[in-house]
Amino acid sequence: MNVPLIRTNGLKKYFKTPMGELHAVDNVNISIQKGQTLGIVGESGCGKSTLGRLLLRLLDVTEGEVLYENENIIAYNKNKMMEMRKKMQMIFQDPYASLNPRMTLSEIILEPMKVCKTIQDKNEMFEKVYDLMKIVGLDERYVNTYPHELDGGRRQRIGIARALALDPQFIVCDEPVSALDISIQAQILNLLMDLQEERGLTYMFITHDLSVVKHISDEIAVMYLGQCVEKAPSEELFKNPMHPYTKALLDSIPLPKLGKENKLKEVIKGEVTSPINPKPGCRFAARCSRAMKICTQKDPKLKDYGNEHFVACYLCK
Amino acid sequence: MTDKLLEIKDLYVTYETDDAKVYAVNGLDLTVNKGETLGLVGETGAGKTTTALSIMKLLPDRVSKINNGQILLGDIDLIKVKETDMRLIRGERISMIFQDPMSSLNPTLTIGEQIEEVLELHEKDMSKEQRGRRVDEILKLVGLPADRKNDFPHQFSGGMKQRVVIAIALACEPELLLADEPTTALDVTIQAQVLQMMRELKDKLNTAMILITHDLGVVAQICDKVAIMYAGEIIEMGTLKNIYEGEKHHPYTIGLFGSIPDIHKATKRLNPIVGMMSDPTNLPEGCKFYDRCPKCIDICKTEKPINKGINDTHMIKCHLF
Repeated sequence: MNVPLIRTNGLKKYFKTPMGELHAVDNVNISIQKGQTLGIVGESGCGKSTLGRLLLRLLDVTEGEVLYENENIIAYNKNKMMEMRKKMQMIFQDPYASLNPRMTLSEIILEPMKVCKTIQDKNEMFEKVYDLMKIVGLDERYVNTYPHELDGGRRQRIGIARALALDPQFIVCDEPVSALDISIQAQILNLLMDLQEERGLTYMFITHDLSVVKHISDEIAVMYLGQCVEKAPSEELFKNPMHPYTKALLDSIPLPKLGKENKLKEVIKGEVTSPINPKPGCRFAARCSRAMKICTQKDPKLKDYGNEHFVACYLCK
Repeated sequence: MTDKLLEIKDLYVTYETDDAKVYAVNGLDLTVNKGETLGLVGETGAGKTTTALSIMKLLPDRVSKINNGQILLGDIDLIKVKETDMRLIRGERISMIFQDPMSSLNPTLTIGEQIEEVLELHEKDMSKEQRGRRVDEILKLVGLPADRKNDFPHQFSGGMKQRVVIAIALACEPELLLADEPTTALDVTIQAQVLQMMRELKDKLNTAMILITHDLGVVAQICDKVAIMYAGEIIEMGTLKNIYEGEKHHPYTIGLFGSIPDIHKATKRLNPIVGMMSDPTNLPEGCKFYDRCPKCIDICKTEKPINKGINDTHMIKCHLF
């Protein structure tokens, strides 16, 4: 197997709170091959957005490494990191909050080019803006509008154009479609997939929506309270979920279909426990119906069960 | 023979803004029978919430106006009911659950006090002890331990807060419950818990419900009938079977289903509807969907389609049928 584009090694992020240490991301190891999409799934508070931000160094890492083409970018200084940022960009969840309300559409898309000084000539810059607008499907007449004049779908297209402005290789998409209506969501998903095909982009796609993640990802990592509990190729994960939490997640999705398969299966009890000073052992043990003694004593490790399917659970043989 | 509980006839609602008049609901007809759950599905701006607020008579006074139509609860027309009388209906005969459980509870009152408030208003002959007992009962009904009634909303998680909101809505055992996106703000595993609870309660209390949502998956779990809304009109209505398994559909319904990634099949591309919903200040003449419709014919641009019955329970508003 060739070298992955981006890879993490024992990545940890702890936040200090008055109540103790909050383990937002706890020893996560992921890797993404060039041109592929890794989906990160989990419920609110499982650390998926923190993980995305750590990969781009938008947050300081507590411990561990982020390797981009085998170079640890955590060790980079400011100047080197600035160069790096041209290769990695982000699309944010909320198209209402992630655009500066006092900038016009063209100013927003221009800004990364100005900051990174990739294009100096003004005319060339505007050409690029029109180009990008065409790529993401924004009509030329919007070039001088402000974000508040546009609807959510168009705003998210601006966010995508801005992320593409520096021709990056890697984009972290943090719930890019969660705030959108279903028909607009489908339009944006199609756009993201077309862009990947044309430009060979690599995505890390963060979402809580399992049907979306299945649709767009090559590989999926399931997170629970800061830890990756299961990792497998997309098809494999849905065909053969092994971790009890993954199974519960899959059973919880209401499907737009009738019939027996759609009657509610067993619903997991309880809610996510606190990520502050977590007890040793499996984080999911408190909600797991099949928890054993060992589950509350020692952290289970991610183990390979063939077909590139990794699970962290003592129940799996 | 099923009994009609709520019947909406030809409802028109507009909002006046400084710049323009917004046509939010345009000729809506709807019937809900006793004990029945209706799913009202549509995208943002389709007029779902405006419809619910019209039934509750909670539309903002100055800017909104009901221009035409009737909302019949039994034989009372809610549009003509005075505010003082409406207060007796609200909470007792019809109640509403709002989308965001975090902002629909009072942060300065304990949840016990908030549930008791409803009883104080509507069950005047209950003594204090009786009310306390009833609060315990309702909390148990929605799956919360009764000894938490002295806690404040911030001490609960999102899923539990939504249970409290549901408890308040059900305190007087209303005939009709309006649930406006009750699970949208919740995580999937919590959503599954709340949906399961709502379904059990529905069977136990025989409450009719209008469930407003954009999630066709949630509808399939809990509803008996489905109404699809677009630009202030119901463009297709039928039983679950009609909508999910029937052969004939409104092009918009087909587009909605085409937009959902299928979890069991590997699809390369989704088939969404092109474009966006028409501006409600400037709705097209004829069918409001024609500019996005892949099957648009000439008559669609000029003439409004009327309801066509496909069979006894299934109705589509489209010129193609």
